[in-house]
Amino acid sequence: MNPSSRQRRALFRMTVMGFLAGAAGLAGAGEPVAPAPAVDPAQGKVSQHRIAVRLPAVTLTRADGRTVNVPQEFDDGRALMVNFIYTTCFGICPISSQTFAQLQGLLGSEAAKVHLISVSLDPEEDTPPVLREYAHKYHAGPGWDHYTGTVEASIAVQKAFSVYKGDKMNHDPVTLIRAAPGAPWVRVDGFATARELARIYRSLAAAG
Amino acid sequence: MRSIVLLLLCLLLPLAPVHAGAPHGWQPEDVYLQGRDARGGVLEGQRADGQAVQGADAACASCHRRSGLGATEGNYVVPPISGDYLLQPRITNGTHPDRAVNSSAPQRRPAYTLAGFAHALRDGVGSDGVALSALMPRYALSDDEIARLFDHLQAIGTAAAAGVDEQNLQFATIVTPEADPQARDAMLTTLRQFFAERNRIIAGTARPITHTELGVKYRVTRRWTLHEWVLDGAPESWPAQLERLFASQPVFAVLSGIGGAHWDPVHRFCEQRHVPCLFPNVDVPVVQEQGFYNLYFSRGVLLEADLFAAALRQSGVPPEGARLVQLVRPGSAGVAGAARLSALLAASGWEVETRELAAGDRARAVQQALRVPPDARLVLWLPAADLALLPPPPTGAQAWLAGSQAGLDAPPLSAAWKGISEISYPYELPERRSVAMRLPEGWFHINGIALTDARVQYQTLLACQILSEGIGELHISFQPDYLIERLEVMLSHRRLNAIYPRLSLGIGQRFASKGAYLVRVGPGTALQADGDWRVP
Repeated sequence: MNPSSRQRRALFRMTVMGFLAGAAGLAGAGEPVAPAPAVDPAQGKVSQHRIAVRLPAVTLTRADGRTVNVPQEFDDGRALMVNFIYTTCFGICPISSQTFAQLQGLLGSEAAKVHLISVSLDPEEDTPPVLREYAHKYHAGPGWDHYTGTVEASIAVQKAFSVYKGDKMNHDPVTLIRAAPGAPWVRVDGFATARELARIYRSLAAAG
Repeated sequence: MRSIVLLLLCLLLPLAPVHAGAPHGWQPEDVYLQGRDARGGVLEGQRADGQAVQGADAACASCHRRSGLGATEGNYVVPPISGDYLLQPRITNGTHPDRAVNSSAPQRRPAYTLAGFAHALRDGVGSDGVALSALMPRYALSDDEIARLFDHLQAIGTAAAAGVDEQNLQFATIVTPEADPQARDAMLTTLRQFFAERNRIIAGTARPITHTELGVKYRVTRRWTLHEWVLDGAPESWPAQLERLFASQPVFAVLSGIGGAHWDPVHRFCEQRHVPCLFPNVDVPVVQEQGFYNLYFSRGVLLEADLFAAALRQSGVPPEGARLVQLVRPGSAGVAGAARLSALLAASGWEVETRELAAGDRARAVQQALRVPPDARLVLWLPAADLALLPPPPTGAQAWLAGSQAGLDAPPLSAAWKGISEISYPYELPERRSVAMRLPEGWFHINGIALTDARVQYQTLLACQILSEGIGELHISFQPDYLIERLEVMLSHRRLNAIYPRLSLGIGQRFASKGAYLVRVGPGTALQADGDWRVP
């Protein structure tokens, strides 16, 4: 058996066991918060960990064309939920984006307090106009912004959140949540539903 | 009244055709590729968690791909669904080879029957009785739609691909009459050397192994044959020429190629015949028509036009009476670049004039075309041969030069022109590409091939290497669709891409390098970047 078929088999085993259980192990050092219940065995477990994040001093371009400084943009006082997407992604991103859309609906009046941030993993392809179209497709409301930038800036942000996997197509479904500037970051691995994300956010916000 | 209608309906129903309600010409391929159901509507599906998917996103091909051989993303594996998978039981004795790189779970399941297929599509339950991935949508399709889709899946990937047999792989390269003769020869010399070397070193070196269970041969090192399709006459006559050539010699893919202002007949031929058309040396690729089989290094002059538009807008609207004047050689690739820039700037209220250089004496033509009012903004879509003949620049002028037309090296500009010119440079800067260039430079050197058109030769060799890697990725699934799908995935894994800083594709992406620098010619012939790599 050649190495690539071994890799495929390993990949397959991870898939059968719940393809996100594997990803949870990659979350890195972090103390488990509270295990979220698995939604669906086929979808794998959703897990959450506290992680340390140091926001990189890089600039990104928001879908409206404005250049923003990452620490400033992220520390604007609101709670944050960050995910990583690219617009030609077929598997993970459509689900992550639909989940953010549902989350905005679910949060209702609370939505104004939570800034949803989607950073492109394929920034050269996902130019601001392409991101605007993508945001429109997923009915992104006010408070949900998409970002692109140089390849280097996108990688710097991915590395800051420990989600960099070397290639856009290797990425995993991950959501990063922080209740307020200065509060701890919680990394949620797996296809968390909008309800789960809302629950995690509310519990973090309540914990202050 | 209602009873009469009912009665009429009852009378009519038995006469209705089997595919009742299907719009004329509906094919199961419409569900598979586009997500259109037989009732003429948008296909809708629901994931296990209730998320809805629609249209193209719900189409089978959006995840399982056009080839039906599946895909992977992160830890998420989409299994193959082409007929030879669905109709085979999957076993776990460790010897069952995977035909596709993407093949995966579930490893143990019975073969699909029509009833089992319907159960999977409607209820999300596999032939083994286990729930499919929650990400696989469930579809409320009719019996008829499911039956026809099942037939369709069985047919996918079963036709023998053109230009492949056990010992040989046939490729073509296409030369249009618009190609510059020197560039054409530079490309052909590169291709011939690559094929000769590949066949000498690799072809037939390994003894193939036949898998006893499947009758499939492994370790086959096929001989590559290159067919040079040299077109003549007007572009309108090329489709018929290409059809004739393809009929007499079917090929698996078109590799590289070279042309001028018109590449669309070649592009359309490749789409219609489902022939991968890989990385031709053209500066005017087809960007408007959504295609699958044509991959390009970049958007060429169209990318440069976008870059110039952004730079010109930033420089501000020219002073009263000043204008933007573009210079092009009639019939060259620059014409398309100039047209795009005109259209982009017209939308911002600029007055743009495009002048074609007259035939005959080069120097005089350039001189005549450059009679412009003071403070003009100039965009020159000209080859280095024309740039060498530029008279002193007009007073107060600022200039932008299309690097794709000028070549890889600094164009021969006077000090006065250097001072006012920015050049689009859709390649990696010379000082940053030295590592990536070691192999290609060495290859040409060792093979004793003079670099008569370095840009074309490096691109051609790069196209050969990418094809070679792509063919290796096919494993034993020699399907043109699958070659394109593998290239979509693997291109961004390459680290050394000769003159390009990076190449990257994705599903539906067709232009591998997305940006360019703006450079100035410094003292001597050094190219100095003005800012970072830009993606307009």
